[in-house]
Amino acid sequence: MAVTPLAATEVARADAARAARAMRARHRREVIVQTTVAAIIALIFFSPIVYWFLVSVKPLPYTMTWPPVIFSEPIFDWYQVVILGMDPTIGAKTGVIYSGAAGDYYVIPSLVNSVVIGVLSTIISISLATPSAYALSRFQFRIRNNLITWILSTRMMPPVVAMFPLFWLYTQADQRLFSAIFGKGTSVLYDSLLGVLLVHVVVNLPLSTLLLKSFFDDIPTDLDEAAMVDGCTRWQAFTKVIWHYALPGMAAAAILAFITSWNEFLLTLTVTRTQFRTVPVFGSTFDVSAAGTEWGALAAVSTTAMVPVFIFVLIVQRNLVRGLTMGAIKG
Amino acid sequence: MTESGARKRRPPFWSSERPWIWLLPIIVLLFVYSVYPFIFNVVISFHRFDPMTKAFRWNFPNNWIDLLTNADFLKSFRTTFIFGGAALLTELVLGIAIALAFDRNQVKLRSLWQSLFILPMVVPPVISGLMFRFLQNADYGIVSNILYALNVIDRTEPLIGGTGRNVLLGLLIVDVWQWTPFVALIVLAGLKAMPHEPIEAAIVDGANRWQLFWEIKLPLLRNVLAVVILFRIVDLLRLFDYVAIMTSGGPGGNSETISHFAYRMHKSIEWGMVSVVGIVVLILAIIITNAYMRLFKVKF
Amino acid sequence: MNERDRQQRLYVAKMAEKLRVGKISRREFIRAAAFAGFGFSSAWYLGGCAPARPTPVETAPKVETPKVDASMGSGSLTPQQQFLKEVGGKFRGTRIKIVSENTSPGLVISKLMKEEFTPLTGIEVDWEIVPLDQVLAKTIQDTVVGATGGKGQSDIYYWDQAWLGRFVNDSIPVDELLAKKDLAYPDYNFDDFLPQLVRDIASYKGTKIGVPFDIPIFIMMYRKDIFEELKLKVPTTMQEYMEVVKAIHEAKSGQGIMGTVGQWKSGHYALQCDATAWMWSHGGAHFDADGRPMYTAEENIEGMRYMMELGNYMDPGVTGWDWGGQGDAFTQGKAGIFISWGEFFPGFDDPSRSKVVGLVEAADCPKEVKLRPREQCGYDETPGISHQGGSCLAISRYAPNPDAAWIFLQWATSADLTARANAQGANVPVRASNYTDPRVLANNKVTPGTTRHFEVTRRAIESRMGTEPHLPQWAALATDVNAVEYGKMTTKQQSIEDTLKAIQEKTEKALQAMREYGVV
Repeated sequence: MAVTPLAATEVARADAARAARAMRARHRREVIVQTTVAAIIALIFFSPIVYWFLVSVKPLPYTMTWPPVIFSEPIFDWYQVVILGMDPTIGAKTGVIYSGAAGDYYVIPSLVNSVVIGVLSTIISISLATPSAYALSRFQFRIRNNLITWILSTRMMPPVVAMFPLFWLYTQADQRLFSAIFGKGTSVLYDSLLGVLLVHVVVNLPLSTLLLKSFFDDIPTDLDEAAMVDGCTRWQAFTKVIWHYALPGMAAAAILAFITSWNEFLLTLTVTRTQFRTVPVFGSTFDVSAAGTEWGALAAVSTTAMVPVFIFVLIVQRNLVRGLTMGAIKG
Repeated sequence: MTESGARKRRPPFWSSERPWIWLLPIIVLLFVYSVYPFIFNVVISFHRFDPMTKAFRWNFPNNWIDLLTNADFLKSFRTTFIFGGAALLTELVLGIAIALAFDRNQVKLRSLWQSLFILPMVVPPVISGLMFRFLQNADYGIVSNILYALNVIDRTEPLIGGTGRNVLLGLLIVDVWQWTPFVALIVLAGLKAMPHEPIEAAIVDGANRWQLFWEIKLPLLRNVLAVVILFRIVDLLRLFDYVAIMTSGGPGGNSETISHFAYRMHKSIEWGMVSVVGIVVLILAIIITNAYMRLFKVKF
Repeated sequence: MNERDRQQRLYVAKMAEKLRVGKISRREFIRAAAFAGFGFSSAWYLGGCAPARPTPVETAPKVETPKVDASMGSGSLTPQQQFLKEVGGKFRGTRIKIVSENTSPGLVISKLMKEEFTPLTGIEVDWEIVPLDQVLAKTIQDTVVGATGGKGQSDIYYWDQAWLGRFVNDSIPVDELLAKKDLAYPDYNFDDFLPQLVRDIASYKGTKIGVPFDIPIFIMMYRKDIFEELKLKVPTTMQEYMEVVKAIHEAKSGQGIMGTVGQWKSGHYALQCDATAWMWSHGGAHFDADGRPMYTAEENIEGMRYMMELGNYMDPGVTGWDWGGQGDAFTQGKAGIFISWGEFFPGFDDPSRSKVVGLVEAADCPKEVKLRPREQCGYDETPGISHQGGSCLAISRYAPNPDAAWIFLQWATSADLTARANAQGANVPVRASNYTDPRVLANNKVTPGTTRHFEVTRRAIESRMGTEPHLPQWAALATDVNAVEYGKMTTKQQSIEDTLKAIQEKTEKALQAMREYGVV
């Protein structure tokens, strides 16, 4: 090579600088493009919720029109009604809000119900599903595959079809069995926490079990054996050692279970009256009212109900993706 | 997998070496909540039950004949499949595309965008149904008006209304809005779980992005997609909430799904019919799932 | 999975293999696996089979109890309040249950309930509000369990007038309840209820099975400003009504104001209500005097033609609107005139939701072309253009607490309470005294919850009211046959004649089944 060392270094340095600049520029462009795409997608999916929120802070005449009045002085009257349980007839800036379209708009009790039922049923269904999933993963027995198909098929029953049988079961059990045990008029299942929880647990069990099974499939069986060599029974091996390795999977399954429970409507409606109504059941009361739907109240109710799950989603979505990447859907 | 030593000893029935102990709670619960309603339905389906007179009479095979010759039921059957197919396809295509977009390396504020994006999943379907009833109002609904402006639909044939020609599109928008995030999320997890070697090898071989997707990533996503499709099929087969809340099966029965038909029969106290629908759907679902699992060789 | 996870797993797998072939001890393996992470601290794995940690105890959420107003001295109480305190007080702690639709009186009464009823009596009331079809589904379930020997879940049923035949055996007849002297509410005065309502929304074949509670009824409502602008006359005949609708539509549809608006959601009871009004106003009916369906009669076809013609002057979205959508459209000033529920009216004068404050007037419905007399119809059907959608409250025969429920029911339907509810915009003028009560008359002006339309409403109830037949299957037929078939007609999938023929056939089939069981 006839190039002097000095010149070579300079050229190399200049090249490197140029390359670095180009790379930085490319990097910047990539960041901008990729971020923009992600943001646009997110905003498209998020925008109906934003629009819906706007409905709750505007007088109805501004929203039930095209083109809508996007910017107006916000009124938070509906939030006072749904969050603070204030009487809809008072406190409205626009005068008296007409109370004709009836309904109890106070959303907090159902929100609490939804969260409590969601959390408890998730805990129960995951703790029931985990050992079952472990067994399905570790034991080879004759009807194993049939059992798996059966578990999956239970999720396919349209809820409509189970409505009356469930109602019948709950009321009959309460009146004939539990009343005899715990005294007249006891409601152990119908319109009770236990009854709703059981429904939500059952709705979640099939999906959770199958999801978790694939996580256990991923954990080497040598782990079990190691524990058992050391004197653990299989049960102990599972409770002391193995399930820790399935924790990310359990987290993912739990998140999905919570979401399913949060969304469940028809069966909850069937087995509850007033004590344990969840947000969807509460929301359905806005379906029809003779004097026109109270869209403002409904929008306020739904945005209020979205706040806790939004926080929940913000916290868990990383875990969800991470949990799902291990196990269930390995490439 | 199980140690061979254990098999020789024949552990006692209650031992944790036996699968039954582990599976007992779930079997009992699922039995009570799914086999019992099923048996209940089978019994009712052979009878005619009139709550007012408490009459409970043998009525086989009339319930079955009534159902299978019911034009509304056959239409609901068709609607379910057309809608289910369209929804599944749209959600898959969009879901995969969006997952690919989120999987890029240089996305800033990724968890914010992801959270905003998956938020529709946690809006209860009842509430999203009501919400879209407002957004798709023929007159002032923003979704309707955007579609009018884009000339996708005509003002005389709104999403919900008119002769009901576009009602399935209306329901499709809600379903896609709500469940594409679910599909995308799982596909995204699948992309993240993907082994690096084949992709790196393909890049070294000079594959472009398009080839990379079709020839490497998509085949590797097969299992993931199989799972996602299965869960969407199961849910779409029993689609109910949106229909009940947004359209009551109308206009003109154009959006009635099997579940809503069963619900209508439930209200009409035609419980014999409800039971038959339940059995038919369940059998159908099992057949579809089994065929599907064989076809895609999904293994749980 | 990300790279770190992958490395961890590879490492653990390697260690597991070493363990299997005996290169390391189990203890070493577990330590290695623990150090490899998996994202949780794991030193205590080494404890192996240590006793489990206690799990936290789950607690049920607290149930709120309405606050009891202790300041009620007995000196200041009215006889009614005295009654509540003394007789109702015997049932202190009882919990009675109702399930009802989201209708006007609900909020007002449940509010007053918390202020007055519960503090005085100590009776808790669970008032569950669900959509109308869910009310029906839940009530049916409840009565089936009750009828087959169980106890019901509801103490009080809320029955739409269309369901009366279905549930005739499921309530305690009102006469039986009124005979309970020890539970008689002071000055309850059952005769104060408008007799037409007692007959048509609370009785079945002459037996009073419930107490009138709510009375939405069709009246004509129109935009005074548009009428003045176009110099229109308030229509008095069906022909004029159609002409007015057409005139408004032609002049105003360019500005987004349609001639009229309907409630045409297929498969929804609203559509049945709309169709029935047009049917009746042309001399039609559902059943003839012998109880045979007569849908295919020429009068009914005429009525349907009229309805379909009106459809030309409505927003295309109408086939997706139930009464909620209809009310919204008119409240937002999207139509010139319509015949529908008077219940909408109080909302028109509410500036927080309406664009037509003070612009809407109520008027008597136009005269029917022809009217079939009640005697020529079956199942107590009463044709009349003012279709009513009233409802009654009844004490369940399977009620766990019928006496406490009866006290509540009397309170909720007493003259004082209905007047107060009406004054607050609940629109429940079921009693004659409601129309003269000063608190109600005070709202006879443009104000939210106005009662400007009460005179028209009263005339409609007393002389124009139309009531659907009361046969056991009606609840199901009206919504799940008629409204579905009409839906096919309004979306032009099926001709008028075919639609009525299909309804006729399905109704005959249902009647056949009922005859087999000896229900009719």
